[in-house]
Amino acid sequence: MAGQPGTTPTTYSPSPTTQKTRKPIFNKDDVDWVRPDGRGFHQCRPAFFRTGAVNAASGSAYAEFGNTKVIVSVFGPRESKKAMMYSDIGRLNCSVSYTTFATPVRGQGSEHKDFSSMLHKSLEGAIILETFPKTTVDVFALVLESGGSDLPVVISCASLALADAGILMHDLVASVSLSCLGKNLVIDPILEEESYQDGGLLITCMPSRYEVTQLTVTGEWSTPKINEGMQLCLDACSKLAKIMRSCLKEATSTSQE
Amino acid sequence: MRFLHFTFLLHLKPISITRLSLAHQSQPAASFTFLLNLFVCFLLLRTSVPLTLTHFLCFGLRWSVAEALPLASFSFLSASSGSPFLFFAFKFSVQFSPVRYSTGMVGLSPGEKHFIQGGIAQDIRSDGRKRLTYRPINVETGVIPQANGSARIRMGATDVISTVKAELGKPISLQPDKGKVSIYVDCSPTAAPMFEGRGGEELSTELSVALQRSLLGGKSGAGAGIDLSSLVVVEGKICWDLYIDCLVVCSDGNLLDALGAAIKAALSNTGIPRVQVAAGASGDEQPEVDISDEEFLQFDTSDIPVIVTLTKVGRHYIVDATTEEESQMSSAISISVNRKGHICGLTKRGGAGLDPSIVLDMISVAKHVSEQLINKLDSEIAAAEAGEDES
Repeated sequence: MAGQPGTTPTTYSPSPTTQKTRKPIFNKDDVDWVRPDGRGFHQCRPAFFRTGAVNAASGSAYAEFGNTKVIVSVFGPRESKKAMMYSDIGRLNCSVSYTTFATPVRGQGSEHKDFSSMLHKSLEGAIILETFPKTTVDVFALVLESGGSDLPVVISCASLALADAGILMHDLVASVSLSCLGKNLVIDPILEEESYQDGGLLITCMPSRYEVTQLTVTGEWSTPKINEGMQLCLDACSKLAKIMRSCLKEATSTSQE
Repeated sequence: MRFLHFTFLLHLKPISITRLSLAHQSQPAASFTFLLNLFVCFLLLRTSVPLTLTHFLCFGLRWSVAEALPLASFSFLSASSGSPFLFFAFKFSVQFSPVRYSTGMVGLSPGEKHFIQGGIAQDIRSDGRKRLTYRPINVETGVIPQANGSARIRMGATDVISTVKAELGKPISLQPDKGKVSIYVDCSPTAAPMFEGRGGEELSTELSVALQRSLLGGKSGAGAGIDLSSLVVVEGKICWDLYIDCLVVCSDGNLLDALGAAIKAALSNTGIPRVQVAAGASGDEQPEVDISDEEFLQFDTSDIPVIVTLTKVGRHYIVDATTEEESQMSSAISISVNRKGHICGLTKRGGAGLDPSIVLDMISVAKHVSEQLINKLDSEIAAAEAGEDES
């Protein structure tokens, strides 16, 4: 690891310059800290949903939360692959992928395994799998643009797409995440906030049944803080579900006309 | 599941007999077998062989009606002739009963399922544990000499190995004052045939992600069990990369807790060589380093959280579930808790929804359980380390 002798050593100052560029968005001592997009701590980004984004699919939905843009299509129920074993209940196959241009640094555009399994786990509890035995429902999600809280948007959008495809569900699945920055709990974080977060909490729930289908927590949390975070998220989920419901109603009323 | 037969034979207490019959009465599907058993027991009582009553109640649980019928007729014949060989005949048939259970694939009969669920509801599980009791934990450290640190954890039949390898690398530009840690889990096909090829991949990813979530803290590094800034050698230029690789040798449930414990043990076994940085390098040059092979730095592992998985079966939660118990779960929550009692990560498994109040209750139960687990694990690790030093 010898340094190249030819290059003239430019002045190297380890921390000050990098520190300045590193902590632009959040400072623990700053009491009057405001979020980069000017939202309140407990204010979500405006949500936009539209069903029927892809004609070829049995059901599809597009969601846009600020800069996060996601498209989900649902295929099936269709015949399971030959290699699959017989199953009394239906199968759910989920896949989440990113486009190469979704992230600030050009990505690989490959499947995101971690998110795929999370999507599967959050949806399987809501879908009545008994209604399509021996068959498979495929849920393909594509993140067009990653602007933070990608997974919650994908999950909410996927449940809307499933509803659009006419798959029987116990309830819509709404999902909201929350970041812990210092002492503040910040709901629906954007990409920058997520990259500086001390901890994160993600809830997916069925609001009408008041059941949590999936929950993950990272970082260090005390019990009262988890309590507070969960309450905030559950509250936001029920509001989000209302928006999703109205989107579905809108779609059916326009198609009837 | 053949071993269970013997456990019953040896350890059946009066309380569990009543439990068995209670469990049966509440399940209509098995009631026919149960009645059959009662009938046979009646016959047996007439022949005054009291021991076999207990046996019969147990055997009937795991025998389908088809299997029980010929036996019943046999016992009827024996009973009417008053044969003293009855007891022997039963023992014989049990010992040669087909083994239905193989690792990985859990095929349980309705009776077995009911037995597990009933046991959990009454706070005595099939291996005699209470709901919140762990299996004995066996810790061995320094099992892989090639690695910087390693440990093997055994809890019942669950057997995992964790190793830590340290390599010098470059910190990422976004966080120049932090080292890097990565956790990988490998589910080897030696543990179960279904892990062959890509079969174990899904479980491997799930476990790796859950471990990263539980042990590495948030993105900013807050709440991490491993202090990443202690891994830096020269800020922005050289740091240690820790590669934590885990191997599932044998799986009998509760893998995540075992893996978490193995990582904790492996890290306390880890020695990182002291690095001498040659002075004089400046600017963009990579400084020259000299890695000592005599002096090692130890990790402070007291802050590393333990993972407690609460498996919900019926209305109750259990810790340290075996594979059979896991097959009966509706959902499970893995909570990692550190010594301060703070939650450092949480993952949910299983599709069924949970009421938020139940989640909070599970968190408080996990916090309570973790206190004992941390102390137990620390003393086990210390004992293992001491044992290794002596040898």
